[in-house]
Amino acid sequence: MSDLFNPTEEHQVLREMVRSFVEKEVAPQAEEFDKTEQFNRPLFNKLGELGLLGVTAQPEFGGSGMDAVAAVIVHEELSAADPGFCLAYLAHSMLFVNNLAVNGTDEQRARFLPGTCSGELVGGMCMSEPDAGTDVLGMGTVAVEDGDEYVLTGRKMWITNGAVSDTEMGDIFLVYAKTGSRDTREISLFLVEKGREGFSLGQKLHGKLGMRASTTAELVLEEVRVPRENLVGTPGKAVKSMMRNLAIERVTLAAMSLGIARRSVEIMNDYARERTSFGRPINVYGQIQRHIAESYAEFMAGRSYVYHVAGQLELDAFGHRVDSDGVKLYCSTMAKNVADRAIQVLGGYGYVSEYNVERLWRDAKLLEIGGGTIEAHQKNMTRDLAQLDKIR
Amino acid sequence: MKILTTVKRVTDPNMKIKINADATGVVTDGVEYQMNSFDEYGVEEAIVLKENHGGEVVVVSVGPSAATKELRTAMAMGADRAILVETDEKLDSDAVARVLAEVIRKEEPDIVVMGKQAVDSDRNQAGQLLAAYLDWPQATFAFSLEVADGWATVGREVDGGTSTKRVKLPAVVTADLRLNEPRYASLPGIMKAKRKPLDTMTPDDLGVDVAPKVKVLKYEAPEERAAGEIVEDLDALIGKLRDEARVL
Repeated sequence: MSDLFNPTEEHQVLREMVRSFVEKEVAPQAEEFDKTEQFNRPLFNKLGELGLLGVTAQPEFGGSGMDAVAAVIVHEELSAADPGFCLAYLAHSMLFVNNLAVNGTDEQRARFLPGTCSGELVGGMCMSEPDAGTDVLGMGTVAVEDGDEYVLTGRKMWITNGAVSDTEMGDIFLVYAKTGSRDTREISLFLVEKGREGFSLGQKLHGKLGMRASTTAELVLEEVRVPRENLVGTPGKAVKSMMRNLAIERVTLAAMSLGIARRSVEIMNDYARERTSFGRPINVYGQIQRHIAESYAEFMAGRSYVYHVAGQLELDAFGHRVDSDGVKLYCSTMAKNVADRAIQVLGGYGYVSEYNVERLWRDAKLLEIGGGTIEAHQKNMTRDLAQLDKIR
Repeated sequence: MKILTTVKRVTDPNMKIKINADATGVVTDGVEYQMNSFDEYGVEEAIVLKENHGGEVVVVSVGPSAATKELRTAMAMGADRAILVETDEKLDSDAVARVLAEVIRKEEPDIVVMGKQAVDSDRNQAGQLLAAYLDWPQATFAFSLEVADGWATVGREVDGGTSTKRVKLPAVVTADLRLNEPRYASLPGIMKAKRKPLDTMTPDDLGVDVAPKVKVLKYEAPEERAAGEIVEDLDALIGKLRDEARVL
């Protein structure tokens, strides 16, 4: 019998390993790091020891060489306990490690993957800017060629892992910048290390609604010089590699929504069979049954969609956009609604931190915004679907 | 040295157990299976022995074909190869011990380190029976294990405290909870385990008749315990213990 969610024995063993690690080491720390808005670096390093940071990277560069389904499993399991921490994991392992593993050269992989797969270095990716989000091609950061170097200038916003503490920036970033005139699609991708002159932490953002166990920062590039060896891929042609990496980003963000939804269903289901009102467990009442049953059905629909798409996703290929946008469009709102119903089922207990659903609800909201707003997914999908006459 | 360890595929001990309609077992629909947790300590100890003394770790399971998952997990932790003695029958401890004894006669390990019991049936017999069938010394409930010069020194958890036992190898050692901290199967380990050898055989191949000697008549849930009670003070507690519980 094939299992969509664990297509091979390796996937099953992986899921069990991560789940057991999450129960023992991730779940107990989640509330504290949410409260203090801090990134748990020691825990992050443990992910490195387990080989999770380089889940999809090539083994010869310190990765584990697994597929998109494996990445989805890890994100679902981590997010079921701590979506904020999982977001830091995603920014590092998908947006930096997988991005470089797919789009970099062997020389670049050898320079940066062993350190990022082990957890010695914390990585991230810089695309959005204070004035350019969904309209990514409108970015203002430029890279000007100067002899054997490029000179980067601009500001990057909403950078997960942009900081590792209140004052210290992350270690290594993949930065998108324009190498043609401002109104072209000529975008290039650069590796920019912490410590390069002119590269600084603008601000670590505070007061986030959710995902508080991961950092979000603004990074500033003031005439930052990087050698030509730090250019990833063909100059001016980074839009393709950007789209390719956005596909796995969106599928794993959708997997995070699955973790949130699954835990929310478990919590409301447990509560509703223990809690009594008018002398009976509340799960005998139709209003509660509707919350639980609809949540489970929507979760399973989303889960089936995500694993189906992940099973077909080749990490180095291009052209999954309808469904990689589709899974995130569906799952982000689904998880937010399911967490909301969990709060409703728990009543007052759902509204306070003890039962975790209020945190899951706050974290769920980010997934309608980060990695593409739901409006961006609607735009992309409709544009792609307009090319189709029939759906196969 | 050659170290042999065992894993049993058991139902998730954290799930609520329901007895089936005809009381011949527990309901297994939708139940998750995993490696017996005591076996995790056995596998970990086997790997530690190999790390300290060199050699090979062979992991054995007696159970259904799906138990390859538990064997792969043990190999992902670090065991070198696996043997599945495949059977869909529910074996009693005596049959398991006789099957393991035949595997061990073929493999000739220097030591067997296995979980003290399985968390599904909690019978705590297979290790002891195995030592008897092999006519090997045994040290059960190990919380520490040192191997040197053909002898094993085993710290044991016993009623009322601990004891130390020295056994000449080859011997059977059964693992208790405090023996070590089992490692997680790392991702590189999981990928490597895919290529490690896994041999499959049947009890018939080993010439073992697994017909049960122990017959289960009926499964019954224990009586539900009444909820506890919080009393005001010590006098009230003494009163309750004397008058209601009648233990004073």
